[in-house]
Amino acid sequence: MAASLLLAALLSAAAPSAAPWPNGPDPSDSVRVATETLATTGPAAPAPARTMRYQPRHLLLQTGGGLGMLSVGGGLSFAHRHLDVDGLLGYVPAEHAGTALTIASVKLKYAPWELPLGSKLALQPLAVGVYGSYTFGLRNPGKPDQYPNDYYWFSRTMRYGPVLGSSLSYALPAAASGRARRLTTYYELATNDLYAISYYQNHRALSLPDIATLALGLKLEF
Amino acid sequence: MFSFSSSPLLRSALIGALAAGLSACELVEYSPNDHRAPADQKDLTAKNLARLAATPLPPGDSLRFVFTGDSQRFYDQGEDLVRSVNQQPGIQFMLVSGDISDFGLGREMQWVDNELRRLKVPYLTVIGNHDQVANGREAYQEIFGPLNYSFVFGDTKFVLVDTNSREYNFNGRVPDVPWLRGQLADPNGARRTVVVSHVPPQDNDFDPTLRADYAAALRETPNLVFEMNGHRHDYSVGQPFDDGVTYVNSYSFEKRNYLVVTVWGDKQFRLKQISF
Repeated sequence: MAASLLLAALLSAAAPSAAPWPNGPDPSDSVRVATETLATTGPAAPAPARTMRYQPRHLLLQTGGGLGMLSVGGGLSFAHRHLDVDGLLGYVPAEHAGTALTIASVKLKYAPWELPLGSKLALQPLAVGVYGSYTFGLRNPGKPDQYPNDYYWFSRTMRYGPVLGSSLSYALPAAASGRARRLTTYYELATNDLYAISYYQNHRALSLPDIATLALGLKLEF
Repeated sequence: MFSFSSSPLLRSALIGALAAGLSACELVEYSPNDHRAPADQKDLTAKNLARLAATPLPPGDSLRFVFTGDSQRFYDQGEDLVRSVNQQPGIQFMLVSGDISDFGLGREMQWVDNELRRLKVPYLTVIGNHDQVANGREAYQEIFGPLNYSFVFGDTKFVLVDTNSREYNFNGRVPDVPWLRGQLADPNGARRTVVVSHVPPQDNDFDPTLRADYAAALRETPNLVFEMNGHRHDYSVGQPFDDGVTYVNSYSFEKRNYLVVTVWGDKQFRLKQISF
């Protein structure tokens, strides 16, 4: 019971993260707002077009979590770096899965707290999020007309699930632009929809550790 | 090194996972379709056959085994089944007629083994259609073993064959009827033969182009006791082709029933239904 509440909490935790950040972008956000035009236009001029340019704020290197033996990607940070939207491309060699797999995934992660540990280190004690993935290269993902309709109710290629983790950041020298740079190491405990339903229906025989996966990763913010 | 040490909840979750027998290596799962498993959950067919060979059945003794199937997503029921089977006297092994997993994932096969390895007797499996979803065929081969195999126990030769034709999109080669005929032609010194497969030949998921040949191979085997199937999740016994060949279908784990099968003489048998 407690475990399903936890899963529900994880799934719902992504909801507040969709809210816009309260204080507008700052130099640490992924959004660069061109405000220079304000200086050249008078007060009577029409409101300046606020051009917002998104750019990757961080690069990621990860193993595990069901998203690849090795996955690389990048992401954007919002809400004063509390909310990350990541895209990853992972690879699993054939010796571990029968065929070589490529896994494309999107992850949304929200870390509400950041605790400074000295001048260079900061701890994000809790991050919650959700991910979705698509696997290419499966041996038998189902061909058109291979099965009658609804023969298997679940997708062989698409997985989704909650993640929960924490991370530790180390401040690097700031970039020339003044943007803060840092290197973060993180872990994530996750599961997927198929493991979760198996657990949900078998509380006696299965435990949360049975359905847990672990991801370990590095994140370079620049 | 990692910051989980600061969070008691996360730390205990992680330690719990490790204590549950997943090495950190398997916990770092590359994909749900990743089939890596601890050494003691690989090649389970060979390991169970070795256990079976360690308690040989003297010639002439009655054969007695439990017949079940389609464990799929019924882990709680599996726990109860093991408890019940362990109370049955005189059981020599258990036979699971396929669909060990529901989604063809290696971890599911390990979860089923986590229950079935608590049996006092060895258990043997044949691959089911659900075990071939996605990369399940590779996972089954890694965790259990060959898709087609046979063994002799006491006076009986068991031939276990992959009949999940639809998973191969009816390529005309599954089931491997020539292999089956070769197995049936050589009794390896046994007095009688039992064929075990997941999808019964009268089913729509069995390759229709191979159905007649497969049924004929069984019909032309005079020492065949019966063919045993799963897939239909319910018990039945009959002769669907009216050719003298008996087909027995297993209960799924979900049905909370199993069969105790006793075989003696040339091909006499008794099926006893047990609820749990």
